[in-house]
Amino acid sequence: MSVQTVQQFVQQVQKPLESSNVLNGLNGLNVLNESKHLVEIQGVSKSFHKTVKESTTEIKALSDVSLSIRENEFVSIIGPSGCGKTTLLKMIDGLIPYDSGRIVINGKPVTAPGPDRAVVFQSFALLPWRTVLANVEFSLELRQLSREERAKTARDYLKRVGLADFENHYPHELSGGMQQRAGLARALAVNPTILLMDEPFGAVDAQTRQLLQEELLELWQRERKTVIFITHSMDEAVYLSDRVVVMTPRPGKVAEILDVPLPRPRVSEQVRRHAKFVDLTNYIWESLKRAMENHH
Amino acid sequence: MNSRFGSNALSILSLAVLWEVAGRAMDSTLIPPLSQIAAAWWKLLSSGKLLANLSMSLTTLVIGFLLAVFVGVVLGLLMGRFRAVEHFLDLYVNALMSAPTTAFVPVLILWFGLGVESRIAVVFLFAVFVIIINTMTGVKQVDGVLVEMARSFGAKEREIFFKIILPAALPAIMAGLRLGIGRAVKGMVTAEMLLTLTGIGAMIMQYGSAFATDSLFAVILTVLLVALVTMKAVQWLDRRLTGWKAEIAIE
Repeated sequence: MSVQTVQQFVQQVQKPLESSNVLNGLNGLNVLNESKHLVEIQGVSKSFHKTVKESTTEIKALSDVSLSIRENEFVSIIGPSGCGKTTLLKMIDGLIPYDSGRIVINGKPVTAPGPDRAVVFQSFALLPWRTVLANVEFSLELRQLSREERAKTARDYLKRVGLADFENHYPHELSGGMQQRAGLARALAVNPTILLMDEPFGAVDAQTRQLLQEELLELWQRERKTVIFITHSMDEAVYLSDRVVVMTPRPGKVAEILDVPLPRPRVSEQVRRHAKFVDLTNYIWESLKRAMENHH
Repeated sequence: MNSRFGSNALSILSLAVLWEVAGRAMDSTLIPPLSQIAAAWWKLLSSGKLLANLSMSLTTLVIGFLLAVFVGVVLGLLMGRFRAVEHFLDLYVNALMSAPTTAFVPVLILWFGLGVESRIAVVFLFAVFVIIINTMTGVKQVDGVLVEMARSFGAKEREIFFKIILPAALPAIMAGLRLGIGRAVKGMVTAEMLLTLTGIGAMIMQYGSAFATDSLFAVILTVLLVALVTMKAVQWLDRRLTGWKAEIAIE
């Protein structure tokens, strides 16, 4: 498939999206009823204030970002460093407020972190003084659950990510890949609807990364979660996602949204050799390059 | 660990031999041979004089140090967590941290009299500031990602404090306690020598002015022993509480 046909394809899939965006502008409530979008990001902007030696400069991180994500969809957000991807993810989680626009999940505007969302962090964010089991239990301690129930649930999810034999290990005794599996188990244990993943495999070596990608797809297929996945890696985005959102450099805007029409379940070795895979990866590279060139 | 113990033993043994030989060679009251010091120590011990004074000193030490731990950790946590509290207090804490605490002895006498309260106050002042500063630094150095993680899973401020901040800051707090106990021992002896002649400090002054160097060295060695034992006790507590940190450091 040439780049041109991909573009045509992209335009086709973008059409229904655009029409729903038009509706967004007219009547928010109406849209919620008509579309099955779980997450609605509507014209969101965000600036940070940076004070150096008493002079405050405003840094625009995100500018008018709109994006709709369907239930059970796997969406990757890709863009150059500092384009506000992580900021966007934190705003979806409710960790930081947005300046303007709206983020609506299941019909409710996001104001704070909620039980329907869980984050997997790039640096794993495991508590070094707790064992793997106790780390997974952490997310459950904040909900009203009995001690036995906590341990049972945590063990169950450790098993699902292949860490059953390591529950009494401390994080520093595990490899990066295993630590991130624990981070994933902690997020899955609270049974969220939406999994927010912030470059989760950015800190592990290439081979482990590929393994983790495959495991994540398997888990996603089984658990049916909506995943919003931040990444730097183009082939990671294509391999995993239903759609890839390409962002511009700061202030981050949506440059384009690409559909990934690769069949599932995706077997890594086969998919990566697929002509469409190669085309899409190249196309995303072109798109990123264009976004960066237009910027300068 | 075993080789460490071995070299410690070797170091003590060679110093003891050197001391004994030097003491005998010089044959003066300035450096009595170690055997003579040991005899004096045994005499002080069996007469009950050493233990009576030691227990008086240790009472001051323990009360003053525990107060310093309590106040130091609480203030340190508040200063580390709330910028307003830090800005309100850090000037005084930093000034008092480097000021010679001995200078406050006359003021303490005016405030608390010549009793045990003054001596406890001296021990407290010697130990508290280093505990405050270490605790505050520990809290400020907590990895922000861990706090963010807790918040994203719905943790409230109270849960963030007890489940993240406190355990993460514990190694730094314990380092403050280790430094604090050493200073507390200094404070204890200083108070007993400068304020009221009591306990171990009184024995040092008494034997010093009487040129009873064998007894003087016996008491000084006892002070060293107290410093060492209390330090080891805090280290033991530290390892019990923050063993995970030591293991990370080894790797």
